Amino acid sequence: MYYGPIMPPAPPAAVRGKTLSKKHTALGVLACVAIAHAAGSFAAPASQNADTVKVALRRITESQYRHTIADVLGPDVKIEARFEPERREDGLLALGSAELSLTSAGFEQYFALAGNIAAQALDDKRREKLVGCTPQDPAAPDDACAQAFIERQGERLFRRPLAASEVQVRLKSAALGAKQAGDFYAGLKLALTSLLVAPDFLFRIEMAEPDPANAGQYRLDAYTKASRLSFLIWDSAPDADLLAAARSGALHSQDELDRQIARLIASPKFEQGARAFFADMLQLDGFGNLVKDPAIYPKFNQSIAENAREQMLLRTVDLLVEKQGDYRDLFTSNEAFISRPLASVYGVPFASKAEWTTYRFPESSERSGILTDVGFLALNAHPGTSSPTRRGIKVLEIFMCQATPQPPANVDFSKVQDSKQGTVRGRLLDHMENEGCSGCHRRTDPIGLALEHFDGLGQLRTIENGMPIDVTAELKDVKFDGAQGLGDYLRNEPRVPACLVRNVYQYGVGQKTVGRDRSYLAAQTQAFAASGYRFPDLVASVAASPEFFRVAMPKQASNAATVASTAAPSPSPAE
Amino acid sequence: MNHCAAVLALAAVALPGIANAGWTKTYVVEWNEPAMYYGAKDGVIDPGTDCPAGTNPEIDWIKVLVDAGYTEEEAKWLRNPANPTRSPVHGQNQMAFRGKDRANVYVHPTSTPDPGLVGVSGTIGEGIDLDGNRKNGFTSPTGEKGIDNEFYRTVGCWKTYRGPPRLSSGALQFNDSMRNGGWTTVIVVAGKGDDPLNDKDVTVGFFVSADKMVKDGNGNIARDYTFSIKPDEKYEAIFPAQSKNGVITSTKPVTGMLREPAYWRDLELLRAQVRFEMKADGSLTGYVGGYRPWKDVYTGWVNARGPVIESLTWVQLPGVYYALQRNADYSPSGPKGEKTHISYALRVDALPAFVMTPDSAQQVASVQSYRSQAVPEPQRTMAAIPSIRVVDGIVIDPKSKMQAGPTAVILPPKNLANAGN
Repeated sequence: MYYGPIMPPAPPAAVRGKTLSKKHTALGVLACVAIAHAAGSFAAPASQNADTVKVALRRITESQYRHTIADVLGPDVKIEARFEPERREDGLLALGSAELSLTSAGFEQYFALAGNIAAQALDDKRREKLVGCTPQDPAAPDDACAQAFIERQGERLFRRPLAASEVQVRLKSAALGAKQAGDFYAGLKLALTSLLVAPDFLFRIEMAEPDPANAGQYRLDAYTKASRLSFLIWDSAPDADLLAAARSGALHSQDELDRQIARLIASPKFEQGARAFFADMLQLDGFGNLVKDPAIYPKFNQSIAENAREQMLLRTVDLLVEKQGDYRDLFTSNEAFISRPLASVYGVPFASKAEWTTYRFPESSERSGILTDVGFLALNAHPGTSSPTRRGIKVLEIFMCQATPQPPANVDFSKVQDSKQGTVRGRLLDHMENEGCSGCHRRTDPIGLALEHFDGLGQLRTIENGMPIDVTAELKDVKFDGAQGLGDYLRNEPRVPACLVRNVYQYGVGQKTVGRDRSYLAAQTQAFAASGYRFPDLVASVAASPEFFRVAMPKQASNAATVASTAAPSPSPAE
Repeated sequence: MNHCAAVLALAAVALPGIANAGWTKTYVVEWNEPAMYYGAKDGVIDPGTDCPAGTNPEIDWIKVLVDAGYTEEEAKWLRNPANPTRSPVHGQNQMAFRGKDRANVYVHPTSTPDPGLVGVSGTIGEGIDLDGNRKNGFTSPTGEKGIDNEFYRTVGCWKTYRGPPRLSSGALQFNDSMRNGGWTTVIVVAGKGDDPLNDKDVTVGFFVSADKMVKDGNGNIARDYTFSIKPDEKYEAIFPAQSKNGVITSTKPVTGMLREPAYWRDLELLRAQVRFEMKADGSLTGYVGGYRPWKDVYTGWVNARGPVIESLTWVQLPGVYYALQRNADYSPSGPKGEKTHISYALRVDALPAFVMTPDSAQQVASVQSYRSQAVPEPQRTMAAIPSIRVVDGIVIDPKSKMQAGPTAVILPPKNLANAGN
């Protein structure tokens, strides 16, 4: 995990080093001021008190950004931008987000987006509701009204109250903008833009404070706790109720914590939180780069990719959130959501006028759970062929938290890649003659071979190159037959729910689990089982546990020069 | 895709309550075009066995106009695109007024002598033997005698229609429109026997769907999509048929109407029949034939802006009118009646698809009429180009300073010469 400082990004090239002429009136000036304020936020972090310490930084994800904007500024604000790529670490983007910085190009994108969002949020039809006060003169600065707006929106966006200096600097820019443009709301747009490009918004800056109950120890401050809860359960920033609980300090009490967790999970926004979690865990970001050879899989197109992704989320959220069902049924249920495009790939009719409908696959379809969704099968295959190995690797990684090492650099893949000959099973057996490969392939391939009745797009088949496909498999001492057998195996495999527990915890805290977490995870897994493997109960249990808020203090920074570039280096008490 | 097994299996599991035929196969029309046998090696205008002189040649419109009574100076002015005052409205529209006493030849085609239209002189043609007489008509590419397709004989050398399958400009234009969502036709084939390939009691139904076709990764129409039937007051045709060795043929001629890929959308067929082959890859290919009102076809071209059709496709529409009238071969009132209809065949290629009842609740399992369920719709415009106001084959612009017409002054006064109308 990266605990070091964030380097302030370079200002956009469009304004860097330019002397603005008078013709570059309000807009150019406003842009420069906004950037200065954003950079200023890096230089002057707003600490609640002198003893607080920054313990973690996590760049907010695209979905967190979108959800936050919708919640704070309105669901009808359009967000049209390309976001900086995210990074997957140990199977989760949430873990990678703790290691991400911001490139100057990325900052430019955020800056352009911020201006666009601010303009929408403060346009004629929205401003009255959002601003909450009326300027005395709409053509002139109004500090009182602007300050109220900055403080209220700033708290929602930064997930904490703004320090006086943070308010003042934006108040100045609002006044300057209003004066330059002769428009109070133009100034307010500048202030809002400044908030939206601030690292305090773009990054989740987790803070710890001395724990009054344990001298010499630290605890997460209440606002950080609120953010952890909110981003875990809603994939969005805390709402006013949660911020109030943080402001009062009530969130440090178990009763209030439990009350807030119950409230958050009962909210419809829990579904978006679950979608975000499973989109991460199931590695659905891969659909963005999914390609298939149109000569081999002509039915594949962008619409199929988008629908396949959505199908996996609908299946998961419907079972685990709507129905509050048993997590293990994810691997065996033959009921799925289908759309008209997906129905064509499955080769079944689409009996609905709606965009999506439920469909129960017959036994003969061999469909069984999420592993037989077109999305999983297509995502974990090659552009022109299936891939038992890749599917096996991903089943182990996603559902059993077992990583598979990269193959040795000198492996000869020629036999296994010759898709014109025989079946994949035969080609893989040849491949496994290489002792350097067999160790991993013995773990991965049986799982994938059980799915071989589905081609690289997930379409049912029983023949490959004129030969019948054998889908029997043996994993250690367990034998199973085909996708349905694999589904039954996973449903009864204890490592599967244990892996979900681990992923929920890692996703929420943004930290990899380590050896000392073992007993905690085991206890949570036991509780998960006791709940009937109900996902909402698991989330609630993890969120309510002290370990969810445990402070991982930063290590001593080794690069003094880099540390010096931050204005307020954090103290580094021993863990 | 053989839907038979799938239909039954799914019906048992997911869609109870379907009244089953013995078997059902369902398709979506992914391409349809007038059946025009192409006898050249390549190219559109090149000579071939169908049209030994190639397509109808490009027309000398100066001569046509002079023959119609215009002075050479007037004719050149009308045809000179460089003339700054030759507005499309005035210049092109005036092309209509070349009949006797400058009548509009599009609406009064017999006001001018037959300018001629080169027809097909080859002996090979595609379609169906509609009259059961093997001694007339064309011979099919596979040797079947008596193919009735006088429409092809009439217009098969017109460059709009001529070309290899799927490559004539007319077919491309209208099929692009259909494939991009303009309209959808589905076909339901149901039999009462056990073997779809050999069944004495087969019914073939053509219906409309409001669901658009979807293109696959190669830009072709994707298979296996689902389409719900949209009951339609006009477009529906149901054919009693039989299948033998995978070839479906009509057992009784019927009356029906299909949506045609043409300017005139109503393909109204009398004594209509089908001939389809069920292909091993699951697709369906063949013909729908019958006798259609030839004046409707002519009206379609006129409404598509007569001067544009004539200029771009190298025909004189009165010549088309005379040719259709000359080759018409069917009278609904009997052999001695006026030949108001002409034999015709539509070449159809269809892909396997799931076809649902109008409520989308279940797959169709038999062929039946849905006309009684059609919701009356506002009168559909038959304008070939609905966004343009076409009157009597020309585009009227009321704001134009110089209107075309029988009495129009053709050469503009000097003071208007550079006014740009």
